[in-house]
This record gives sequence, structure tokens and C-alpha cells, in this order.
Amino acid sequence: MIQNTKCECGHQNPLGTVLCESCGKPLVEDLPLDTPLEMRYDGAARRSQKANPALIDRVWNFFSSVKIAVYLIIITLIGAAIGTIYPQESTFINLDDAGSYYKDTYGTWGTIYHALGLSRTYQSWWFIGLLVMIGTSLVVCSLDRVLPLYKALAKQQVRKHLTFITRQQTVYSAPLVEEPDRWIEQFSKQLKRKRYKVWTDGSALLAEKNRFSRWGPYINHIGLIIFLLAVLGRSVPAWHMDKYIGIDEHQTVQIPNTNYYVKNEKFTVEYYKDEELPDKLKGTNRAKLYQTQAKLYACTKYCNDDPIHEPELKEVESHPIEVNSPLSYKGLSLYQYNYEERIRLIEVKPMLEDAKTGKSYGPFDLPMSDPPPAVEAGPYKLTLSAVFPDFGLDAEGRPMTKTRDPNNPAFVFVITGPDLPDKGEMYIYFPMPSGDDKAVQQQINDSFRKLGSNSGRFSFQVGKMENVSFSQYTTYLNVRVDRAMPYVWVGATISMIGLVMGFYWQHRRIWLRIDDGQLTLGAHTNKNTYGIRNEVASALGKCGVAVDPKALDNRRSSS
Amino acid sequence: MNRWLDISSTAFIIAFVLYCASFIFYAVAVGGKRWSNREPAAHNRRWGRIAFVTAILGWIAHLVFFFTRWAGGGHIPTSNMYEFMTFLAMAIMFAFIIVHLIYKNNLLGAFALPLVVIIVAYASVFPSEVQPLIPALNNYWLKIHVTTAATGEAFFAVGFAAALVQLLRVVDFSRTDKAGRREQRWTEFVLFFMVVIVGFLVAVFGFRAAGYEAKFQQESVTIDQQGAEHSKVQTVEYGLPPIVKPYNSEKLSMDTFIGMKEPLFEAPSWMNGVNAGRKLNTVIWSIISGILIYAVLRLLARKPIAARIHPHLTDIDPEDLDEISYRAIAIGFPIFTLGALIFAMIWAQIAWSRFWGWDPKEVWALITWLFYSAYLHLRLSRGWQGTRSAWLAVIGFLVVLFTLIGVNLVIAGLHSYAGV
Ligand code: HEM
Repeated sequence: MIQNTKCECGHQNPLGTVLCESCGKPLVEDLPLDTPLEMRYDGAARRSQKANPALIDRVWNFFSSVKIAVYLIIITLIGAAIGTIYPQESTFINLDDAGSYYKDTYGTWGTIYHALGLSRTYQSWWFIGLLVMIGTSLVVCSLDRVLPLYKALAKQQVRKHLTFITRQQTVYSAPLVEEPDRWIEQFSKQLKRKRYKVWTDGSALLAEKNRFSRWGPYINHIGLIIFLLAVLGRSVPAWHMDKYIGIDEHQTVQIPNTNYYVKNEKFTVEYYKDEELPDKLKGTNRAKLYQTQAKLYACTKYCNDDPIHEPELKEVESHPIEVNSPLSYKGLSLYQYNYEERIRLIEVKPMLEDAKTGKSYGPFDLPMSDPPPAVEAGPYKLTLSAVFPDFGLDAEGRPMTKTRDPNNPAFVFVITGPDLPDKGEMYIYFPMPSGDDKAVQQQINDSFRKLGSNSGRFSFQVGKMENVSFSQYTTYLNVRVDRAMPYVWVGATISMIGLVMGFYWQHRRIWLRIDDGQLTLGAHTNKNTYGIRNEVASALGKCGVAVDPKALDNRRSSS
Repeated sequence: MNRWLDISSTAFIIAFVLYCASFIFYAVAVGGKRWSNREPAAHNRRWGRIAFVTAILGWIAHLVFFFTRWAGGGHIPTSNMYEFMTFLAMAIMFAFIIVHLIYKNNLLGAFALPLVVIIVAYASVFPSEVQPLIPALNNYWLKIHVTTAATGEAFFAVGFAAALVQLLRVVDFSRTDKAGRREQRWTEFVLFFMVVIVGFLVAVFGFRAAGYEAKFQQESVTIDQQGAEHSKVQTVEYGLPPIVKPYNSEKLSMDTFIGMKEPLFEAPSWMNGVNAGRKLNTVIWSIISGILIYAVLRLLARKPIAARIHPHLTDIDPEDLDEISYRAIAIGFPIFTLGALIFAMIWAQIAWSRFWGWDPKEVWALITWLFYSAYLHLRLSRGWQGTRSAWLAVIGFLVVLFTLIGVNLVIAGLHSYAGV
């Protein structure tokens, strides 16, 4: 269909124009007659309204449709809701066999849920695909409309076609007895008082305010696009890290894949006291605070598992990490995640006691991790022949270590020195002060004696508590790197600014003309018609035209 | 209990009574216009003013409740379900006052106040003691997040109230064609749904006043964050007679109720979550007592309730209601975005080290937001106004309610407060 786009006022409009760009006369013949005009984008043609669309235009047209956007939003909404039916896999820290977990916990439905991939809804290709499509739609939709709207608002005619004025949402028409020029001047004064900008052209008037509010939705959409891009950017590995580390007190641990080390200087837990609790909770352990006194080190030398040298560390940051207060350093953040009460020895300073002479030697330093190969106690030399960080017995009753964690350390020493055989005497030592360990220690040392490896005269005694340093708690920290965060916040802020602009201010325009003593006024706003009717009625009232705001409503009088 | 908290609970009761009174005055303002020997407009104006003043006084008492509880408890009272719900009610009153000042429409009050009364009563179902905070909740971003999100939701609630009036106003009871009947049925259904909520409250408070109690021992299997299974035996206490007992449980004790000595059914096996059986039982009771109340109302009205209300609404323009509903939502949307999404993300980033974790509560906040953005797009760009838009506003508020209450009842997540 060829549409004639030349208006009777002489203006040549682009194809798809609904209201003449110049005088506002409706160009499309089949507009419903008795309803107010559709004022979207001031009736300007959008880019998507082309005569013969090529493929690229078709894609453009698809994404430029708000209908499609709403479908996308609704589908995303339903998809997101389905993802909340059962817990997502990502809420478990280590779930080895997700399939059987969902089957065992939720039965058949759980199996189906997992098989359909719904247990990973938010990481699924289709969900991310929907977000990408919403993003595309946002870009295309905004570009498609913002330029025509900008152009339409930048060059507005003061004198509009009568049909244009009388078919606005808010309309007033009546004979005017006063002299037109003076009345218009008076009326514009009233409008200016209401902070309108006013232009006149003979006996025609255009008043406008808060045009900036029209850009609100587009600014909002730009913010949303930035936000979406930032969220998608988080899947770039270098932008994102999410690891958990457990550290005993006084222990220093390397953060995996980085040059940073963290030390847990001290861990504190505080519980609410009974008098702070309501009756129902008295006697329960309700945590009030837990805190890791942490130090962050950067490695400056010998960082990569150098077998000879210890890495050289430089302290870069220290911070008491609490649940709501992470340690942050150059984009790396350490969050308090969890803790566990678990006594672990760090170092003991035992004395070597000689039952034969009643003398004791030492103390000597025995750290649980990386103990020195040999130490000296008085005249004796103690050579470390075996270490079992987590002592246990294997199937044949031979000593072994269950794990590499120092849960129950045991040390085997060969003692050499005065009055001792050249090959020395062999003793096992359990520094943990538990009764069980002491019994095992006794047993093993007895069996060494039966084999002739020792004479039983030496023993190890720690004595005072000062000679023991131990960790009471293991703290679990969550290590995060999230380089996309600044963009997330920028996007959210822009979006918010756009929303406020668009919703808390409204673009309002008033057109008026006086033809042969007949006053015709039309007013339009993109929202809050109630407000503009009040404003018009009050301005008219002050100029001697009393009218009830409701009577201005074109929709109402026509229905 | 300290002095502040005493003042606080007194103020709470005063607020509740005033809200109820204000609701009655509004009902008189709207329903009594055609009483003999009075001039309808003057009657409406007079009683409307009385009702509004009463509502404001109620709100002031509510503020007193809030701030004295804050002073007495040492932290802002928004940290458990009781406190959150009372805060939401206070926010709805705030939103109602704002919208009322803009539009001065009495009908709105006649529907917003019962909503507030229901929410305040619902809050009272939960234990009202001041509880100390666990560390994760002890952060000012949380307070900002909760209060702004609730304020946004409060505007949605007012939008819902206006949309409901609009639906009652435009529903055409003379129509007998299919679409007309469907419209009548659904409008009635929304009212029925609200009656069921009232039924829930009546059941809970009725049996609580009677001191009803039943106890079960339930063995349940939970799976912790590390994926390890723990089997645990716990006692489940019922405040309502157990029509349904918890899955895999033994009766410990049970008061009889009109001859009922044993539970009638056991909850199905997939309902093995914490307190799932009790929640199901509560839902069944709510529906039973909702149906009873509804039946009584129907008997009194002798026609659908919507048809009974409809004639009182004829002298208001549906366009005005449409505008009020839309405007309330438009005011609420940016506040909700800021509070429920942006502030929530800031807090989650600080407290949980990730700004977004797809926790059910977060997802439902997002769903609410997407829903209202669809509403706005349909309205602004596709010209959905009037009835269609009103239905969306009603459904939207149901989504809000699900986010606030349903997620806790049905889906347990990080955010869960105690559920009933
Ligand atoms: C999913 C997140 C989205 C949100 C939260 C959102 C939000 C909004 C809001 C609040 C408005 C209000 C407009 C006004 O104040 O007049 C709006 C308008 C608009 N939105 Fe979106 N939007 C979203 C996505 C999209 C998408 C994907 C598109 C692309 C098709 C789109 C296209 C539009 C258009 C064209 C308008 C202008 C309507 C008009 O002023 O007549 N939006 N959007």
C-alpha cells in the first residue's frame, strides 16, 4: 500500500508517520474517530517502519517490538520461577553426585527436574540466552525510538492543526469574549508561574515542561544494558574468582592461583549472654560475633614452590574480618564464611627427661608443620626419623598417617649423645595431651624396647601451658575477585536515575489557539493526566475561565 | 521486658483498634450514602474525613510502636516475620496516606484499610518477642534494604486496592454471556481469596485463644551444605487440630477437638521439609474456615459478595480508579527497584560476598520486578488500560505476597524467617 505522506500543510513526512511532524494533523485515515490520539513518539515514524524490510531489518523489527520485549520478560520470569521449585545445585558447596541427590531427596519429580537441567536453571544456555535477547531488545528498542522522539521534540510547531488539539486527552473549547492577544499574554503568565516554557505564534500558544523526563526510560534502559553486560562479563574467568580456604589460627595459607598469602592471627567467637536473650532462647548458643583477625601478604620472592627457599612475604593489609566486613585489597576480597571449633597444635616446647638421672633437658621447639630435621636438647641430639601428622594404624597394624592435616601428630626421634649406643635410641612422641594418645605412645615405645631400639629411660614432657601453642578454631574464608562489580554498580545507578526521571516528573505540553473568538486548548502528558488537568483548570480559572478539571477529560466526555 | 517495650505493645493495640475503627468509618462513608434523609455527597465527605483522621491517628500510634520497639530492642524492628509484617502494614498506611492526599478518594480507604488490618493481624500470628540479631543481619544496609523494599511493596499494595475497587466497579452483573460470567467469577474469587486469609487468621487466633495443642515426633532427613545427610528426630507442635499429621511421625499428645482424637491423614512423603506437615494442615484449616465465613457472608448477602458491593461504587469513575492504581504502582516501582534489588545487592555483596546468588527470595524479588515492568510496558507502550491493567495490578500484588510469605512457607532459603 502506498501511503500519501505529504500533509495538507505542505510538510513531507517519512513513511510510517502517524501525525504530521509539522502541524500534527493525523495522517492515517483509519484512526479511531472518537478516541484521543495515540501520542507515542509524537506520531513520528520509527526506524523499524520500513517499506521493504531486508533480513537485517527483520531482525531489527523483531527486537524493536515492545510486544516481543514483554514476551521475553514474561518467559524469563516464568523460567526464573521454575528455578526456585527445588534448590539449585549452586547452593551446595560440594555435591558430588547431583543426580542421585535430587532423586533421593525429591523422588521422581527431582529426577525429572535434574534431568531437564532445571537444577542449574540460571546457568543454562536458554536462560542466559533470554538475558542476551532482552539485552538486544533493550538496545534495539531504545535506538528505534529515541532518535525519532528526539527529533520530534526538538522541532515543534507552535500552531497545531485543530484536529490535533481537539483529539488530545485533555481538551477545552469555548468562545472567548476577551481580546485574544491580551488573554494569551495573561494565560502564559499563569503557565510560566507553573514553570512551563511558553512559546507563542500570533494567537497560538505552546507550553511545555519537564521534557527531560522523556529521556528517563532510555537512560534506564542504558543502565540495564550496562548491568547486563557486566553480569555476562563475570563469566570471563580472569574477571571472577570464588574459592574457599580454611585456616587454623596462626597459620598462613597461600590463596590458590595468586601471589597472596593470608594469615589467621586469631579467631574470636562471641555468643549472646543469657540476659540478652528472650526467654525462649535462653541457654542456646546464639552467635553474636565471629571474627578473623587476618593479615594479607604479597609474595615478593621465591613464590613458586621453590624447594630451597621459603617464599618471602610482605604484609600488605590487615583487617578484622567479620560477616559484614570483608578484607579488601586491590579487587581481592576475603569474606568470613564459616568456622569450626577444632583444637590443633601449632607448636610445643617439650623437655627431654632422663628417668635414669632425673635430669631434664630443653625445652626445644617442635612446630607441627615443617619440623626441623634435628634438634638439640642439652648434650643430646634428636634426629627426626618419621612424622605422622594424623597418626593411625593400617590394616596390618603398622603406623601410618590418615591425612596430611595435623589432627593427631606423632614424631619418631632417634636420640644420640653421651652414654648412648651409636645407632641411638628410638622414641615416638605424641604431643596431644589426650589419654588415648599417651596410651598408644606407651605401647609403641614398649614395643621399641622389646626390639632393643630403646632402653626406656627417656620421655618427653611439656609441663606448663606456656609451652604449648594451639589453634582453637579453623576459620573458613571465601576469596572473591569480581572485576565486573564496578560496572554492575554503575549500571544500577544509571538505571535508577532513569527511573526517577521517568516516574517522578512528567512531560507536559499544552497547545492553544484562538480562531475567530473560539478558544481551543489541548494538553498532553505521558503520565499523570490527573495532574495536567488540574494545572490547566487552575491556569484557566485564574484567567477568568472557570472549569472543573474533570470536565477537561476527553476520554470521559466521549465515552 | 523493659519500659519501652511495654509502651510499644500498648501502642500496637491502639493502632490496631484505630485501623479497625477507620475501616468501619470508611465502610459507613461508602455504604451509607443512601441511608434515609441524608445528602450522599455530604455524608461521604463527612464520614470520609472522620475515617481518614482515625487512620492517621492509628498510623501515629503505629509509629510510636515502631520507634519505642526500636529503642527498647536496640535494633530496628524489621528482623523477623512479626516485625517485618508490622512494618509492611505501616508502610502501606504511609503509601495510602500519600496517595489519598493526591487523589482524596474515600473508596480507596475502604479497601486499603481492611488490607492493613489483615496484615497487622497476620503479623500477630508470629512470636512477637524482640530477638537478638545474628551477625549476618547486623548491618545497616540490611535495614535500608528491608525498609525501602517494603515501602515499594506498600505502593503496590495500594495499587492493588485501587485495582480491586476498579474491578468491582466495572464488573457487569447483568451480563450472562461467557466472558461476562468469567469476569464475575474471577472478581468473586479474589474476594474469596481474601476471605480465606481472614479464615486463616480466625482459625489461628480461635484455637490459640482456646489453648489448643497437639504434638508429634517426626523423623526427618536433612542434607547440609556440604551434601551430607543427617537424620534428626524433632518435635512438631500444632496450634490447630491436626487434620494432617507430619510425614513419618508419631503422635505424642493431642487435645481432642469435636470428637477428633487422631489425625485424619498423614502428609505425603515429598512433604518432608521442616514443618511441611504443619503448614499443609494450616492451609487446610484456612480454606475450611474461609469457606465457612464465605458461606455466612453469602447467606447474609443472598448474592455474590461482589454483586453486593458493586452498587455502592457506581458514583465513581472507573478512570479515576485506573489512574490511582497505576499512579501508586508508578510511584512504587522505582522505590521497589532501589530497595528490593539494588540495596539488596549491596547488602548481599557485603554480607555474603556475592551481589546475587539466585536464592529463592532474591529470585522472587526479581520476578516481582519483572512482572511490574511487564505491567508498565503493556500499559505505556501497548495501551493496556482499564480492566486488563487492573487484573495485572491484582496479580502483581499476589506475586508480592508470594515473595513475602509464600517463599517462606513453601520454599526455604537463606532468608527464611520462622514460618507458621
Ligand atoms: C527487563 C527489563 C526492563 C525494564 C525494567 C524496563 C523498564 C521500563 C520502564 C519502567 C519504562 C517506563 C517508561 C516510561 O516511563 O514512560 C520503560 C519504557 C520502555 N521500555 Fe522498558 N524496560 C525493560 C526492558 C525493556 C526492553 C527489553 C525493551 C525493548 C523492547 C524495552 C522497551 C521500552 C520502551 C520502548 C519504553 C518506552 C515506552 C514509552 O515511553 O512509551 N524495555 N521500560
